Amino acid sequence: MTSPSSNSGDPQPPGPLSGLRVLELADEKGQFCGKLMGDLGADVIKIEPPNGEKTRRVGPFLDDIPHWDRSLSFWHYNTSKRGITLNLETADGQALFRRLAANADIILETRDPGYLPSLGLGYEELSAQNPRLIMCSLTPFGQTGPWRDYKTSDLLHLGGGGQMASSGYDPEDVADAPPIAPGGGNAWHIAAHYAYMGILSSLYYRDMSGEGQYIDASVHEACALTTEGAIAIYLASGEVVSRHTGRHAAVGSSTKIQLATQDGSWVNVTRSGSNLTPARLRLLAEWMDEHGMAEDLMDDKYRDAAYIQENADHTTAVLANFFASMPQEDMWRGGQERDFPWGAIRSMDELVGDEHLQDRNFFVEVEHPELGRSFTYPGAAAIYNGSPWRISRRAPLVGEHNEEILCGELGLAKQELTLLAESGVI
Amino acid sequence: MPLPRPLEGIRVIDFTWVRAGPWAARWLGTFGAEVIKVEWPENLDMLRNNRFTVPAGVEPGPNSTGQFADTNANKRGVTLNVRTPRGLELVKGLIGVADIVIENFSSRIMQRWGLGYEELKKIKPDIIYVSMAGFGHTGRYHYYGTMGPAAQALSGLTFLSGLPGEPPAGWGWSYLDDTGGMYGAMCAMTALRNRNATGNGQHVDLSQMITGITLLGPAFLDSTVNGRKARREGYPPGNRTVWPGSPPVNNYRGPTVVPHNAYRTKGGGYNDWCVIACLSDQEWESLAALMGSPAWATDAKLSNLNGRIEHQEELDQGIEKWSQTLEKYELADKCQNAGVRAMPVQSSEDRVEHDPQLRARGMYTEMEHPMLGTWKFQNAPFKMSKSPPVISRPPPMIGQHNKEVFQELLGLTDDDLIEGYRDGSLWPPEMPKYPYLEEAVR
Repeated sequence: MTSPSSNSGDPQPPGPLSGLRVLELADEKGQFCGKLMGDLGADVIKIEPPNGEKTRRVGPFLDDIPHWDRSLSFWHYNTSKRGITLNLETADGQALFRRLAANADIILETRDPGYLPSLGLGYEELSAQNPRLIMCSLTPFGQTGPWRDYKTSDLLHLGGGGQMASSGYDPEDVADAPPIAPGGGNAWHIAAHYAYMGILSSLYYRDMSGEGQYIDASVHEACALTTEGAIAIYLASGEVVSRHTGRHAAVGSSTKIQLATQDGSWVNVTRSGSNLTPARLRLLAEWMDEHGMAEDLMDDKYRDAAYIQENADHTTAVLANFFASMPQEDMWRGGQERDFPWGAIRSMDELVGDEHLQDRNFFVEVEHPELGRSFTYPGAAAIYNGSPWRISRRAPLVGEHNEEILCGELGLAKQELTLLAESGVI
Repeated sequence: MPLPRPLEGIRVIDFTWVRAGPWAARWLGTFGAEVIKVEWPENLDMLRNNRFTVPAGVEPGPNSTGQFADTNANKRGVTLNVRTPRGLELVKGLIGVADIVIENFSSRIMQRWGLGYEELKKIKPDIIYVSMAGFGHTGRYHYYGTMGPAAQALSGLTFLSGLPGEPPAGWGWSYLDDTGGMYGAMCAMTALRNRNATGNGQHVDLSQMITGITLLGPAFLDSTVNGRKARREGYPPGNRTVWPGSPPVNNYRGPTVVPHNAYRTKGGGYNDWCVIACLSDQEWESLAALMGSPAWATDAKLSNLNGRIEHQEELDQGIEKWSQTLEKYELADKCQNAGVRAMPVQSSEDRVEHDPQLRARGMYTEMEHPMLGTWKFQNAPFKMSKSPPVISRPPPMIGQHNKEVFQELLGLTDDDLIEGYRDGSLWPPEMPKYPYLEEAVR
């Protein structure tokens, strides 16, 4: 299950963002955006405080042994980047940062609003020496507004952004349930995707005009934008949606679409009930009939679309019984082979090894030379046929590229590096 | 002078429908690309039928749904039947003057129409083709279909939402239509950037389902590196980082901290909840002080993380007793002013009407829509200093721009259009035409 190698000397063409230099000053809010650019070929230099970015402290850790360089979360979000340490609160650190910024295409930063300008490292100052510079500040609420300085977390953003108001349980499934914030750190993902779009659009603008610009991106706005129909429903009806187990929040009730299987799992059967045509219901009924579980669904009355519509709950109940007697794998694949867009609710470990994903070279072996081992990472969502996505290297160790970049590129002597380390600059 | 637009001069042929695809093309339009949505009224875009978003007093119909409107702003729209020779010829004409073709059909449709990448490339050698099929175009199950919820289930996203011991709560909307949409736009813009650098177009083969897997990296690595299973005691831990009584294994949302939960607030209404998270001992001390330093909260056993994990139930109950004395915005403001992380749980109404931050930042733009009247559209979640994203055009009524697009780009005459309406290449002959279609060629 391995394939695109992370070794250099790859014969494939360069990634679509090759030739771009990105400086990243980012914690959990922006590290994913940096990864998106790095895996697509940009040269991303992660600039961390001398004791490492705080996201290195987030678990899980390799073999559950906490260490700066063993955070699996940090590993995932920081592939294809090089890393240096720089104390931006020292004059030497600021001077080195300015030198790096003079040759950068993009700066991605997630520090508190006003922090970099207070160090003389705001966009005004940096673009004065490099007018082509694009700088994206990705912060909880943006650079303006009454909540600008409020502190947040993933949970807070999913609360304020509306994700929680749409996610949870039917009262008959879990009485008195709270609104649920889905896991995985998705406030940061949503924001990173939008920030990426903003950055790409400004690159395109720069290609035409020669000018860089400043992007003020807000995690809160990105989340507030990401609840699909909830806003339109409110604008049209004045109603807010109710939460339903494993399906769309809606005004009023809706057909259940998360069906339990015999092996203690579930399958999502979107559009199984209300949108069934007679022919498609017949297809399902025949399948159930093979297992002696069609009940009355083979009857001629189900040749009438209106009758099906009126009896959607019954159809779903019969279907639910059928599901309860069958394993998950048979059910979702059986549905797909009959052209029903169903999906198994899989846990992450259950899709490792998936054959379709293997066909797409999704599982990527990434070498960790410091450990003498390699590990399987998630690969690309999109195959760029002309300019491939790739993980060019594992996440940097703390300060791993200090010498390569500060000496190799900026021309510092090794002795200077020692002085910088001793004085707490790197 | 109109503001400059970053994708000025880029033309997009948009075959997308439902949500993920149209949302992708919507962003390209918002950055200034000229997006031409290609539709056929007999296979109506499902969002044009979304009866829940037709305002009271507006005649229902394909041009009257609010959800279609917001998802398809900044586009022009044409109708044509690619399964007629004339329709196919016209669409090839459009592709010949386009930069990007984007679609989210199942994997075999474009090939079936004779519009696979090899064909597109013959028409326009540097074309960028973004396909957004559920499973992608590559891989043995490419023909599997997905809507957002099934894609979420298959990617692992659904499983990590909910309370332990209960069925997954999942996502109360098609999150992967949002993500798939963002990704579609990202792919198109990335490929454009590459075309600028190399002169070459390409086919970008996106899988909506796989976009979800890429959002689960830490859980993925916990499986492949540490061999840990997600089906385990106390997982997923609801809004908490660790479920009481379960081992404190990281839950992939961020650091393991307590308190970290949703709490009821004054009023007791359906969305009267507030979320609070203390990421350090100090933040917890600030919260305890804000609550008036009750004895239970200042107890030394809660002064460190291990103690708060051990006594989480009791601690959450204590916080909720206090939180129910305050209205949710008031509570969040008080907390934030005391250095405690808190936010109200906001419904759609809250965001549109009550959120002072979204109001100050101008999250919603009002624009006149021929059927909906003055309608609010959602803006981009960022400000750009030189080339701002702009919502400048309401969504197309079906076939609204047939005349303008076919005349401007392909030189068709009114007689050609009338013939197209007659022979079924531009509109189903049996289907009544909207007055605006007739009037345009009168």
